[in-house]
Amino acid sequence: MTMESGPTPAERKQWEEDGYLVFEGAIRGEMLARLQKAFDHWAAACKEDWLVGVARGELAATYYDIPNVLEKDEVFLDILDRPRYFEYVRAFTEDDMIFIGEQVRTAPLWPMGYTGWHPDVRPDHPLHIKVQVYVNDVERGGGEFAYVPGSHRPGAGPYPRVKNLEAMPGYRRFPGRAGTAVMFNTYGWHVAMENHTGIPRKSIILTYEKRTPGKIDPERYAHLSPSLNTPDRRRLFGMT
Amino acid sequence: MPRMPRIDAHGHVFAKVTREFPREASGNTPPEREETVEKLMSYMAASDVDQAMLVQIGGTSVAQHAYLLHCLRSYPDRFLGIGLIPEAAYGAPEEHMDRLTDGTGIVGFRLGMVGGPPDPFDPVDVRTFTTYPIWRHAAKKDLVLWLYVRAADAHLIAWLVDAFPQVRVVINHLGICPGLGKGRTDQWGRPQIDIVPYNPAFHTTHRLSTYENVTMKLSGHYAFSKEPYPYPDLAGWQKNFLGTFGADRLMWATDFPWIYEEPGYDKLAKLVEENTPEIKPHEHEAIMGGTAKRFLRFPDLK
Repeated sequence: MTMESGPTPAERKQWEEDGYLVFEGAIRGEMLARLQKAFDHWAAACKEDWLVGVARGELAATYYDIPNVLEKDEVFLDILDRPRYFEYVRAFTEDDMIFIGEQVRTAPLWPMGYTGWHPDVRPDHPLHIKVQVYVNDVERGGGEFAYVPGSHRPGAGPYPRVKNLEAMPGYRRFPGRAGTAVMFNTYGWHVAMENHTGIPRKSIILTYEKRTPGKIDPERYAHLSPSLNTPDRRRLFGMT
Repeated sequence: MPRMPRIDAHGHVFAKVTREFPREASGNTPPEREETVEKLMSYMAASDVDQAMLVQIGGTSVAQHAYLLHCLRSYPDRFLGIGLIPEAAYGAPEEHMDRLTDGTGIVGFRLGMVGGPPDPFDPVDVRTFTTYPIWRHAAKKDLVLWLYVRAADAHLIAWLVDAFPQVRVVINHLGICPGLGKGRTDQWGRPQIDIVPYNPAFHTTHRLSTYENVTMKLSGHYAFSKEPYPYPDLAGWQKNFLGTFGADRLMWATDFPWIYEEPGYDKLAKLVEENTPEIKPHEHEAIMGGTAKRFLRFPDLK
């Protein structure tokens, strides 16, 4: 991976003004097939535990996250630093980022979206970037990611608390093929749209952040150490 | 112009077990214990609370509703009631529901389950849900459904709310749906439910704000909070509800009698302003009675 594959001036402008970028085919071919296979395998393997967590009132039934995937299959580590989007994370964080976590998520069909429009963090939080990778094809109206361009900027808003997700002014929705990645600044307002397609949405949400001292306990990922076999990965996990 | 009545939207009264007032006994409702409506009225008077919703406790049979019906007959302008339905009658609940609501002051029924497919990925046909006949009859008779369902069913509520937009639905106790094995009783005999801070309710019952026929009850803090009154760890929930449901779909309640001793009825009557000090007067008025008056159709006071 090289810095040359990072953002063009136009992409940097879009990132700064709109707060998002889309990477079609960010994961493709053999790696996408590996990812889909691992996703489906572990989704099936862990489902019973999820249902127990739902019955115990500990987990929501409206989305299903496979837990601790980084320990389960190396493909989940391999997607963390895919150059197609990782070079952009690197550029926007001035090559000083940490990995916060992953959500390997399937959203079952439900009469509405499982969340409303929201930002994740306040603008005084260190730059916080998410990359949402579609694991299956996600049509318009299929639970796709949506974002209000420019809502990440200081002074943007206020934004209304709309009951109908489609009533949010100025939003943009992002359907995409499997392997598409949408990167966004989480200061901005975003949501998963309602799914009327009959097909549960599968995606992986990777969260990165501008490094701040002490944010990551180096012991947290110590058990992954043998697999963190590049300087980038060791840095992402706070080991250097 | 008369002031808006203050309405306590949820609590329980019960008599000692007698032939006149049969009921089931349990750990915190032993046969000799009584929590009478007159005792409740004395607490209400001390806190300027005018009316209240009495929610059946102590059994689901018509006979076991005797004390509730007695209270509603005795004070028809002060109380409305919510009944229970035996699970054995869920398939054909019409007669039971009609007997209990025919001019009695009982305006709806409380449900602890929904009864759809437990796997959220399974196909959904609401007509196969265990409680579908109850919802259908509630729609036909314009009855209220009062929901405090088990955690496994939390996501299923939306399917029925969506199918029956004409049914008035009240989500109990901040939208918490108790998890399996999470309940216990504390030193004051109050129900306690262990909950996780990032609660599944955020993505199930709280999302029901989308539906205009759904209201949320601000109550039960004592059972879920990890902190004493005024339960600051749940104050953010209340603030969020103001933004999502809005005051016109929020109702304050104490969950009497469990709270008489700790923290005390008078304190709970001040809870909304204690943990939402920025609340506007008209919002406070709605939460403290206006919403219940309109949505549950409390009678005018005589």
